[in-house]
Amino acid sequence: MSSKVSTPISRRSFLKWSGAATAATVVGSKTPVLHALVPSNKNTADGKVEHHFSTCDMCLNKCGLVARVENGVVTKLDPNQKFLKSRGMLCARGNAGIAQLYDPDRLKYPLLRKGKRGEGKWQRLSWNEALDYAAKQLRDIAEKYTRCGVLFSPGSDMQSTFVHWFAEVFGSYNITTHESACLLSRNRAYLDTFGEVPFSDVLHTKYIIMAGANRYEALITPDSIDLMSTRKNGTKLVVLDPRYTKTAALADEWYPVRPGTDMAFFLAIIHVIISEKLYDPAYASEKLYGLEQLGEHVKPYSPEWAEAECEIPAKDIYRIARELAAAAPAAIVYPGRRTSDYVNSTQIRRSMAILNALLGNWDKPGGLLAARQVGLSRVELPEAPFYEDNPDDRLDIGRAHMMFEEEGSFKHMRDAIIEGEPYPIKGWFVYKHNPLQSEANRQRTLEMMEKLDFVLTVDIAMSDTAWMSDLVLPAPSYLERQDPASGLQGSSACACVVTRNPVVPALFESKPVFEILKELANRLELGEYFDFTIEEYRKQQLKNLADAERALREDGVYYNPSKLYGVYEGRIYKTKSKKIELYNERYAEMGVDPMPTYRPPRKVPSGRFRMVVGRNAYFTHCTTQNNSLLHELMPENSLWIHPKAASGLGIKEGDLVEVSSAAGKGELKASLKDGIREDTVYMASGFGVLSKGLTNIHGKGACMAEILEDFSDELSGNMAMHETFVKVARKVA
Amino acid sequence: MMKKRLAMVIDSSSCIDCKACMTACKVENQVPAGNWRNWIKVQDADFVQSSRPEGADSIHFQPGNCMHCDNPTCVQACPTSATYKDEKDGTVRVNENLCIGCGSCIPACPYGARYRRPDKKIVDKCDFCEHRRQRGDLPACVTTCPTKARTFGDLNDPDSDVARLLKRNKTVRVINPESDTRPNIYYMSMTAPLNWPVKAEIPTPIQLWKSVNPLVWGFVGLNALGVLAMLGKQLLVKDEVPVSAHEEKKEDGDEQ
Repeated sequence: MSSKVSTPISRRSFLKWSGAATAATVVGSKTPVLHALVPSNKNTADGKVEHHFSTCDMCLNKCGLVARVENGVVTKLDPNQKFLKSRGMLCARGNAGIAQLYDPDRLKYPLLRKGKRGEGKWQRLSWNEALDYAAKQLRDIAEKYTRCGVLFSPGSDMQSTFVHWFAEVFGSYNITTHESACLLSRNRAYLDTFGEVPFSDVLHTKYIIMAGANRYEALITPDSIDLMSTRKNGTKLVVLDPRYTKTAALADEWYPVRPGTDMAFFLAIIHVIISEKLYDPAYASEKLYGLEQLGEHVKPYSPEWAEAECEIPAKDIYRIARELAAAAPAAIVYPGRRTSDYVNSTQIRRSMAILNALLGNWDKPGGLLAARQVGLSRVELPEAPFYEDNPDDRLDIGRAHMMFEEEGSFKHMRDAIIEGEPYPIKGWFVYKHNPLQSEANRQRTLEMMEKLDFVLTVDIAMSDTAWMSDLVLPAPSYLERQDPASGLQGSSACACVVTRNPVVPALFESKPVFEILKELANRLELGEYFDFTIEEYRKQQLKNLADAERALREDGVYYNPSKLYGVYEGRIYKTKSKKIELYNERYAEMGVDPMPTYRPPRKVPSGRFRMVVGRNAYFTHCTTQNNSLLHELMPENSLWIHPKAASGLGIKEGDLVEVSSAAGKGELKASLKDGIREDTVYMASGFGVLSKGLTNIHGKGACMAEILEDFSDELSGNMAMHETFVKVARKVA
Repeated sequence: MMKKRLAMVIDSSSCIDCKACMTACKVENQVPAGNWRNWIKVQDADFVQSSRPEGADSIHFQPGNCMHCDNPTCVQACPTSATYKDEKDGTVRVNENLCIGCGSCIPACPYGARYRRPDKKIVDKCDFCEHRRQRGDLPACVTTCPTKARTFGDLNDPDSDVARLLKRNKTVRVINPESDTRPNIYYMSMTAPLNWPVKAEIPTPIQLWKSVNPLVWGFVGLNALGVLAMLGKQLLVKDEVPVSAHEEKKEDGDEQ
């Protein structure tokens, strides 16, 4: 555990940072938040005020912040005004980070399960006992079932990289991450079109279509902020969403598209652009592969045909296609992030990627941007050991056409573990990841856990996954940790490096996962692979960036002034044809549609609804619902249902309703919303928890993962969370 | 030194209802759960079936907080002069030492900007983050806002951002016509909703008393009452050593 605290920002540089050198006075201390939780051996004198740079970890954006520390207590988190990627802001979650640090629900010491899984009976262990126990379990599984008999699920924070490394040296290739519940289908589609997953130059675009993306609520920096700035400059925003999200609400045009038919809309736009020759022919012949085939392919996909599928008027499709082409290349079909929605999500996103290709926006202002150079060096670590008795491949291999080897698919991995084929997995190492809430079909995950001999979860609080584990180890929050450096892509704002040093010492007995892995490695005779400190690791990462250490110390961020546009000048595309692939040969070879072919979504049966899910600005996936400050913004989730549909079922605003599917059911209050289609219902994620260790939200709302059935994208294996049909019934009190 | 007139100009069309300002304020000012010093009002979209909402008729989010009015009805309603208009900077402030927590000021505010703090048994509201301003920072809500919907500054300084915004743009003040308190929060003209401020309710005894001869009573009487209340409060809290005195003692090394 690191007790070392980062050096405070010097007074001079703090004043420089705050831009207030003339008026600064240090005021006396205010009543500390939850003083009782703070260790009494304060390392700062009474009345002492310090400011420390850090990097937010309330979601994945990694926004720069300045923590105000008074008498050793963090009293406020403010945005680092020099942090360009976030445009100098901190959202509600960022501000609520303080309630994660001083959360009375935090895990305080190692806990070993007593009694049945989920019964909530725990025995407190010392760290030595806990680590000895964990090491023995991992060793036993490795000996009995090979080292691939342990599944690793790293989270997505800055220490998760060490969980990947541990899995590698321990000898398991079975790793599933958050990604297969999120954006793998988008990544697949863009990799298979452009050879790279792009970023969007939202700030400089003139026209943007968002389909299945909600940037004003699911905040992504700088895109969410830039979307407002660019709108103020007259950029047009068109939103396709079955739900009147805040993004839809603030758009120029909102189309409540029939769920699962976005591809029809985009194929029709492509149809218009090709048939009316609205693309740049010189660009097309130089950069695009398969324009002729595409032209033939989209012939039947007229706007009139599309209107019948997606319920967007043909005249609007014609108009939008022409407007989009007129704005090109400063026009974007926004690639989106969470694209875990349909069984053909990769192909839906391919239709959007192909349209971007026709707009000629790649690598240009206001278009799609390639990754910029950040300049972090790869850390040289010893070569991981080879284990002869290991199986040849991941357990979930071959269960979808084009899975990512390093991410896999949680859905397919879970199926394979339950089937025990082709080999058994008996252990699970989970770090800050909560599949019981985030992966569709909770019952199926519980079924999988029943097959396992040992489940270890490292987390900050008692998530549902921790609650159902055998051993639970407490991790510190980001404000108490030293982390490696991390490179960030900030679109037109920046390419930058961030890091973390502890702002305050770690509370309770919490221990960073790096230390946990290091001690486990020592116990498993793998100590040589973890024979380094984070400090040393970071030094190696930064070795080719001369100014980075100073900049991180003085500004809390290092910017690499690398090339933003024209990165691909003189470069080929990383695709088979070395061009942008409208037609994908590899797909054709595998028997997959080389160009997206429309397949209508299954019809919603009468008396049922399609359930969709999505974010708001207060919660990150299933992790921040119990945070006391954010909990106050949304104490429970509710079911969005159209008033007409509700009235047919005798449901009034605030009534308790039961939502059920083939997977499971849940009870929550109804919210009657005009802004949702009559055939669709919606609920926010992260409620209906199993864990009694989440005291603010236990017993509140329904669990999305319990109700969603586990469909998945045929190509990437990504979860498909908008394919479930549910029944809704009023609960009679 | 020239007097200030602190104000906010809010471009509510930039607000995405992310509630960063509310959370930042809550942490900065340690506002107890269930209470807020600031807010975001929502004008709901007017859905006409099968036509989509567009333009000004669609949803609108409007951030706000105490309007630091030039004609503050809360000041009129306060029996102890705890609530006062700070002539130095134009803010409406609550003197915690004078406030008896009677709550007369709460319905006197057309904006619902005041609440009774259960832990301190006083009335609390936005003070434009006075302690942050003292150290040269902007109010927490302004600093944190992702889309920079809130701009803060001194209207008496023609070079300030707020003065410039007011000069260049058409702005409105959100008021109840029956209680124009002359607020110092200006909104860009397209803002909504507009009809939410209530009529200020000043408790009748205080109203009567203050209306007898406003010049005499309002000035002399109120001050006298304030002095009395201050005296009373000092007598009542005599046993409590003020924090600052306590700290001074410590620094002198008396306790070591």
